[in-house]
Amino acid sequence: MVVYSFYIFDRHTECIYQKSWLPPPSIQTTTTSSSDNAKLVFGTVFSLRNMVRKLGGEDDAFISFRTAQYKLHYYETASSLRFVMLTDISTLSMRNVLHQIYINLWVEYVVKNPLSPVEHKGGEGVRNELFELGLDQFIRGLM
Amino acid sequence: MTVFALIIINKAGGLIYHRTFHEGGLNKISTNDYLVLAGTFHGVHAITARLNPIPQQINRNSASSAGIMTRPEPPSGLEVLESENFRLQCFSTLTGIKFLLFTDTTQTNVDLTMRRVYEMYTDYVMKNPFYQLEMPVRCELFERKLTSYIREVNNR
Repeated sequence: MVVYSFYIFDRHTECIYQKSWLPPPSIQTTTTSSSDNAKLVFGTVFSLRNMVRKLGGEDDAFISFRTAQYKLHYYETASSLRFVMLTDISTLSMRNVLHQIYINLWVEYVVKNPLSPVEHKGGEGVRNELFELGLDQFIRGLM
Repeated sequence: MTVFALIIINKAGGLIYHRTFHEGGLNKISTNDYLVLAGTFHGVHAITARLNPIPQQINRNSASSAGIMTRPEPPSGLEVLESENFRLQCFSTLTGIKFLLFTDTTQTNVDLTMRRVYEMYTDYVMKNPFYQLEMPVRCELFERKLTSYIREVNNR
């Protein structure tokens, strides 16, 4: 199992956190920057979520999709916080893993941090040491 | 195990065929909404092919080290989508036509069903001399064979 990257989007559709576990490419082959990539990811999951809700009913939830190269996992909290993870295709459902990240890392280190703002504009309050360290350890433990 | 519906999208993102086989699996939506869905899916499919997180370089190196010059596989778009209530399998042909099969979440061997549907499309739609390319599919024989095949799959 390999985790490629991880994104968090807030309810204002802004990417407030992103992390990649891939080695940085030696030569920039693609023209898309990481912020462009985050926008593409958000556009995809947003469209697919709406499509799933239209076809499967209001209580249906989009879980994941797979291409021949990668698999994308999606988890949305009741407060419209969206967690997205890209992994290799052989990985099973990561929904509970994303849920664990929300409970054990996001709530513990970001929500319960008294210095963290309510709205994380530009990722403010999310990029704290404990959250980053906890996330990195958790993901490396899975791989 | 149930196959809910089939949608065929042409290479421009237009809906050319849609058919529901099982009532109650998916919400009933209007033909207009199906057209919107087809267009949206076409766009999303293109984006998902671009999102490929693995750098292409790795592919090229491994190909040249083997001594054989091979063209790296082009990144494919969305193939399987899972939600709580259904599963969507997408098959994109080399000519850009997309077949979407909606099944329930426990359905197995969708690849096989998809292959059979594609065979029927080539046999009864493409070989129909009155069918115009890129246009909505209205072929009675295709309709009939498809219905009986899916009924057989759903009763298995």
